[in-house]
Amino acid sequence: MARTTFPVEVLTPEGSVFASEVEMVSTRTETGSVGILANHQPLLGLLQPTELRLYTGESDYTRYAQGEGYVQVAEGRVLLLVEEAHTPDSLDVAELREKLTKAEKALSDAELGTAEFERAARDKRRWEAFIAVAEDSTVGH
Amino acid sequence: MSASQADVKDRIASVKNIAKITRAMEMVAAARLRRAEQRIEALRPYARAVRVMTRAAANAASSAEINSNPLLQRREKEERVALLLVTGDRGLAGAFNSQIIRAGLKAAADLREQGEEVAFFAVGRRGVSTLTFRKQEPLGAYTGFTDRPAYANAREVAEDLITAYVDGKVDRVELIYNSYVSALTQEVRRETLLPVQEATIWAAAGAEEDTSFSDADADEKPAAHALVEYEPSPEGILDRLIPDYVEISVFRALLESTASEHGARMTAMRNASENAGELIDDLTLEMNRARQAEITQEIMEVVAGAEGLS
Repeated sequence: MARTTFPVEVLTPEGSVFASEVEMVSTRTETGSVGILANHQPLLGLLQPTELRLYTGESDYTRYAQGEGYVQVAEGRVLLLVEEAHTPDSLDVAELREKLTKAEKALSDAELGTAEFERAARDKRRWEAFIAVAEDSTVGH
Repeated sequence: MSASQADVKDRIASVKNIAKITRAMEMVAAARLRRAEQRIEALRPYARAVRVMTRAAANAASSAEINSNPLLQRREKEERVALLLVTGDRGLAGAFNSQIIRAGLKAAADLREQGEEVAFFAVGRRGVSTLTFRKQEPLGAYTGFTDRPAYANAREVAEDLITAYVDGKVDRVELIYNSYVSALTQEVRRETLLPVQEATIWAAAGAEEDTSFSDADADEKPAAHALVEYEPSPEGILDRLIPDYVEISVFRALLESTASEHGARMTAMRNASENAGELIDDLTLEMNRARQAEITQEIMEVVAGAEGLS
């Protein structure tokens, strides 16, 4: 039986990426992977870079490489505010690997506890998550 | 005589070629301007939603926690100021680049007079190369994207500034860019980026979101507030929202600067095309005169020859 659907919008600074009814949203917050179904309680959470899945059916889903952002559940609607959301085929693995190497280098150069260090760690996490999506791996899920 | 006629003809041809190029550049700039305007529009819903969320989280967070955020702290002693100049990668856009550089150098001179140190950050090849040429080597140089800045570019710039600020390398960050008013008007604007002006986060919210549903949402928040689950905590969310606010401010400045650049180039190229048109008219007149003089000369020679025979 089909599950109840609810409206979801994915907004990025470069415009709206997705706005439609779905059965489930699967993403990752600070505390771990979450699946949001209809009638979820109001929530405001921080999102980690991961593979975002928007389920329109039992096994039909749209995938995105999702950057950091926020999820807001209110009045039966889900709003995902993310810095970036890319379709898997628009990702360039070679380019991402290059960015990852750079972030890893910055991380080992930075002093623990500085903002520089925090930033390199965030960059590293983001590029790792994106590479995983591009290579169709299910890491983080 | 005929030599000068050929000369003028050559000049007309070359001016016509220039006019063709300037007209093409004008049209390209017009198309890019439209796209840049759309991208400014595309940012609005996101920026508005982030503001609404910031307000919701701020309402739920304890005010002591909010005030301890390093990005909101005004330093008692501001000794080192960073100036971020937003220029373009390319020229041929009227005063677009030079007015930013002029404003930046003047701001730096004023700050130095007050005994403050100045560090430059520059976006766009024009700004970077001028500063380097003037031995004011920018601390951060960002080039290659001013035609179409992505959010990732803004994030890179903003994070460099934030880390420099948090790690105490600079005590204040100011932003100088061309704000987009219309295709014909661009205004040089100077804003303080860091520390974040608390007032601008909360106050600007009301101004921009008059008709959106998100606003109605936010107004209902206080009532439903107790039921909202925060992950991790309102304070934890604010710690991320505030730097994001800086990123959005930089992104907006980059987008507005890009729209301004295309607008300025469109205007500059339209003027150039018009000037070329006038020049062609003048040169055509000159050529016609030269041809007429030549014809008159020939007739006189013929008449004189006929008279000589009779």
